[in-house]
Amino acid sequence: MKIPFKKKNTEKEALVKVLSKSNDYRHLHFTNEKTKVEFYLTFIASLTDEKIIHKEALPYLLHGELYHLDDVPELIPIAETEISTNAKDIENKLFNGNVLVQVVGNEEQLCFFSAQREVGRNIGIPEVEFSVIGPKEAFVESMKQNLNLVRKKIPVKELIIEELTIGKVSKTKVAIIYLEEITNQENVNTVRQRLQDIDIDGITDSSFIVQIISDNQNSPFPQILDTERPDRVTAGIIEGKVAIIVDGSPHALIGPTTLVELFSSFEDYFLNWIVSSFFRLIRLFAVTFSILVTPIYVATLSYHYELIPRDLLSALVASRRAIPFPPILEALFLELTIELLREAGARLPTKVGQTIGIVGGIVIGTASVEAGLTSNVLLIIIALAALASFTTPVYRMGNTIRLLRFPFLLFAELWGLVGIVLSFCIMLTHLIRLTSLGRPYLEPLYPPRGQDMKDALVRLSFKNQAKRPVFLRSKQPARLNERDAKQKQDIDE
Amino acid sequence: MSISIPENKKISPFLVFFVVQKMQFGIGILGFQRIIAKNAGHDAWISIILVGIGVHIVLWALFKMLETVNGDMISIHTFVFGKIVSKIFGIFFILYYLLLTVTVIRTYVEIIQVWMFTDLATFWFSLVLLSVVVYIIFGGFRTVTGMAFFGIVLPFYVFALFLFTLPYAEFNNLLPILDHSISDILLGSKNMSLTVLGFESLLIFYPFIKDPKKSKKWAHLAVFSTTMICLYLAILTFAYFPENQLQKNIWPTLTMWKIIMMPFVERFEYIGIANWCLIILPNASIALWCSSRIVKRLFSIKQRTTVPILAIICLIATSFLFTRKQVNLLSDMVGQVGFYLNFIYFPLLLVATLIAKKVKKNEVGS
Repeated sequence: MKIPFKKKNTEKEALVKVLSKSNDYRHLHFTNEKTKVEFYLTFIASLTDEKIIHKEALPYLLHGELYHLDDVPELIPIAETEISTNAKDIENKLFNGNVLVQVVGNEEQLCFFSAQREVGRNIGIPEVEFSVIGPKEAFVESMKQNLNLVRKKIPVKELIIEELTIGKVSKTKVAIIYLEEITNQENVNTVRQRLQDIDIDGITDSSFIVQIISDNQNSPFPQILDTERPDRVTAGIIEGKVAIIVDGSPHALIGPTTLVELFSSFEDYFLNWIVSSFFRLIRLFAVTFSILVTPIYVATLSYHYELIPRDLLSALVASRRAIPFPPILEALFLELTIELLREAGARLPTKVGQTIGIVGGIVIGTASVEAGLTSNVLLIIIALAALASFTTPVYRMGNTIRLLRFPFLLFAELWGLVGIVLSFCIMLTHLIRLTSLGRPYLEPLYPPRGQDMKDALVRLSFKNQAKRPVFLRSKQPARLNERDAKQKQDIDE
Repeated sequence: MSISIPENKKISPFLVFFVVQKMQFGIGILGFQRIIAKNAGHDAWISIILVGIGVHIVLWALFKMLETVNGDMISIHTFVFGKIVSKIFGIFFILYYLLLTVTVIRTYVEIIQVWMFTDLATFWFSLVLLSVVVYIIFGGFRTVTGMAFFGIVLPFYVFALFLFTLPYAEFNNLLPILDHSISDILLGSKNMSLTVLGFESLLIFYPFIKDPKKSKKWAHLAVFSTTMICLYLAILTFAYFPENQLQKNIWPTLTMWKIIMMPFVERFEYIGIANWCLIILPNASIALWCSSRIVKRLFSIKQRTTVPILAIICLIATSFLFTRKQVNLLSDMVGQVGFYLNFIYFPLLLVATLIAKKVKKNEVGS
């Protein structure tokens, strides 16, 4: 009988031994003034708020009627208290910002109360996904606050928040959020299963999770949408998607997603549907243009100059007359310069970054044309392509597009236009094969679903958005009563 | 004996439209006008209609057979002839689909060599093409269908561009109607068969269709649309080329593109040929998929192992076809085989299936 007791004790002793190595470990002795009961407070100073301990706990513990440990929860005006006898709780609780109370003579019984210190920045405006119209709040690093932002927008009991802990060392808290009556349970299960299967020592951001739970980790395309906008997350949840919020990360994740969604900005829903459809089409054109224009330049000038009408050709030839390099080298040189500028701009503080942009864009560009290293036509084309690639509203997608241009360039140099189409076919096959949480990535383009086209290449009016997307397989496909929405009054009625 | 395919690997009935049309619509479309006009002259458009009607009948026969046995081609053969004979027929079909793959790829390479890059290395280019084909097939039949879908939807704009030939068209070329003999027109129909070939792949992928009954109308619609496209192209071609000049063009469709002129693009055939890559890739994928699928059905070898092996065989075969004559011989041969297969063998097979069904029913009855 004595052995387990002793073992427990040694476990505790070992813990205390390790803990006391850290300077922020506190183990303090107090005596209650009325009842003369002696007690200990144990906590980690860096995780707890001293104000709470001093103002909301200690006065009551010192001056109140404290006879037993069971009195503690009633004495102190803190809601989160817990009494336990399990020594294993100690480590976990202490590192979550709890304070441990032990009464001398009865050390086996433990009482915890929460005195977590809230550090972190205030809710700011979205910087990556800025929108002119619409809410201006963005997620922050604290999961508590982020959950609050979401919960506030969906105040119904059906909103389920499941919490998991991931990471052997980092013990990161991860929340899965979905609507019980709407989200397909299979999607939730997939997310939960994949999160539970994660075996890693530390997670410091949601991007780790994106990469680990993606269906195909060897794909340059992002298969889960990440966003810093609470409104986008709520819209996704209401649509029937599953959201993931990771403690310590200002980016929430939404899945399953589709390629089309990665090209849609949340501002599309704030603007009139005609305007936003136009913007979407422009963005689509911009992306195609950005990927294809340099490869086409290389292909036509290397192989198929017959394609270009005579008047245009003479302008092109004139601009290239003094240039000693073949088109591919010329294009690679400029593309790499642009990539260098972007990379340098991204690594530098904002103010210096702007200078780099000007120096790079104007000085290097003009100088290289004047030095006869590149043609000015190509300079225009590449600058436009770079500009066009910035129109992608999702940052991850923008990076993918930056990368995609290079294989296209290579194939264009090898086999001209045929090479471009061939690499397009490879990309297309890859996209058809991709899935996001098991759902087809290219939907509604393939498998072709006319019903979901309402919010794909264009965004139709809210009246036409009566159904949830088919690929989510929602339990409740209808969003609103379609018949009421479509009913029209006769003229003069 | 029905074959069970997991529900999530099946395709919706309306996607059958794209697979069937894709198989018919490939490399043949670039040069069929000359071949059908060889005998039937400017009356060849009647041949196209005749072939179209014939294809509808054969398609009906295929569906009838498939419904009787509720399986694929192998089940039909086993049902009618027994296991051993069905294996022999199966091997023949494996070869047939391999040949089809080789024809498609080699003809495309040939076109690129003639029109774009004279010294394009057949081996290297076919290697890349076939690698992409293998990559497509590895994604499963749904991916193959997906490529077929995009292979039709994306290059569809090309057909509108043929209207550029209208200002130069002389529709009087088509007159007088019916001044060729019936046998000439029928010969033209026979020559047409390579172009509309391929819809018989339905026999292989039938178990992959969700709710196959519903797919019937889509398959027929696909065949109908192919006939219409061929008709449209043929009429424009016959109006554009005088009869004698047509015989001098191996690929009249490509020659017609030459006339297209826009402020920023001339010589449209370069874009067209490049675009055709998107059309022939799914074509070759379906053929090679069919081939590997039959291997799996007959010998239970994983498609993951057979597909690369078959692709390598195709690659070797493609690289050994050097001259225009050899390529021509190959496509003629495939056309002939396809013709007899589709218009003679399958109707006979239907009769055999129906008889076998009756006999077996009687056996059960007695």
